[in-house]
Amino acid sequence: MITIFRSLFAPPRHLILFLPALWLGLSLSEKRADRYHISKDMLNNIVFYGMLGYLLGGRLLFVVANISAFMKSPLSLFSINLDLFDPVGGFVAALLVGFGYGQRRKLPLWSTLDALTPLFAMSAIGLALAHLAAGTAFGSLTSLPWGIDLWNAARHPTQIYELILSVLVFGFIWFRKTSPPVGSDFLWFLALTAGARLFLEAFRGDSELIFGGVRLAQVLAWIVLALTLLVSEALRSTKRSIKQNPPLPK
Amino acid sequence: MQPMQRRIIYIIVLILGLAWIRVSADPSGTSATGKIPAPQPGFPAPNFELKTPQGETIRLSDMRGQAVLVNLWATWCPPCRAEMQTIETVYNEYKDQDFTVLGVNMTYQDERLEIMPFVNEQKLTFPILLDETGGMASGYQLKSLPSSFFIDRAGVINEVVIGGPMAEALLRTRVEKILK
Repeated sequence: MITIFRSLFAPPRHLILFLPALWLGLSLSEKRADRYHISKDMLNNIVFYGMLGYLLGGRLLFVVANISAFMKSPLSLFSINLDLFDPVGGFVAALLVGFGYGQRRKLPLWSTLDALTPLFAMSAIGLALAHLAAGTAFGSLTSLPWGIDLWNAARHPTQIYELILSVLVFGFIWFRKTSPPVGSDFLWFLALTAGARLFLEAFRGDSELIFGGVRLAQVLAWIVLALTLLVSEALRSTKRSIKQNPPLPK
Repeated sequence: MQPMQRRIIYIIVLILGLAWIRVSADPSGTSATGKIPAPQPGFPAPNFELKTPQGETIRLSDMRGQAVLVNLWATWCPPCRAEMQTIETVYNEYKDQDFTVLGVNMTYQDERLEIMPFVNEQKLTFPILLDETGGMASGYQLKSLPSSFFIDRAGVINEVVIGGPMAEALLRTRVEKILK
């Protein structure tokens, strides 16, 4: 079954899996937009500009980082090669463009992030499927009965673990009753996703190791988790303090 | 939930997280990619031994110490044909820096008689190898043509590009990476 799936969506076709996830995620975000007092148009625009920022930013940052190669063949700038791309740079560009658009349109930050959370959660599912199809984000060696044969060895099916956890995170986000403070949907998603990565990375076979064999991704996930809990606590404290000390009437 | 209770839970979660990082550390580095050859970045490149159209035998293991681009191609594949000139240009530019290209023709699914006329027409100077049984393609888990494997001097796959044609800048950035 996995073999058929992997051969159907072998690279570079594996990216196709990400597109329906994005589309579905955006549709679900639109469905909930009113709950957060964000218009569907605004939501669509922020996603559109964010994606544009991702594509242009990813390509431009790749060009900047490899400027000497492009000086010799400037036409490569317009190549349709997906590999001429810096995904981290693209992600940062998308965040900056999305944030810039939100600021310009005076969108409330936390409500907008809450409204976009189904899109983020669904994208995580799409990413897990793309990993499974491409055989990337693969597991370490195992003799467990559910190990999958990948890259010439029996390995932990980390992509399937990732898929299961991202579906569970999505389910939690979608079915939980939204409760204050504003931003809690997004912060729950971030905390759970960071926690899932912290847990799953232990079974990965492609971890980048730092001092003493510590897995870098786990350290980063822990930092994200700690910051998320800190911000969540700060938001609650702000809300409590406003409740206890309401602003004076004009 | 009371704020104090919640904060205690947060602290417990973070401490458990740190403990998990410690427990799952991999001091020997054995879980990371490993020494099993596989056609995936980070793994040693699977070895192969193939003949050129002239009958000379070339092994990938003989190339150890050089940066190698293994390009899988066929004459009937338009993107393969389209990227050959770019590969030739970049090969000529970097061949003096211990860089080589092995153009592995998928002979088992190609017209044998069309290979050399194509190579001559394109004036390709890098070694062309013939995979007559499909053994090499199977070892490299070929899914699409063209497929390009960028192998560093230690024999480890650094990058895999599936599909084409590759842009000249892409080739240069990848080659410079494996030459480092």
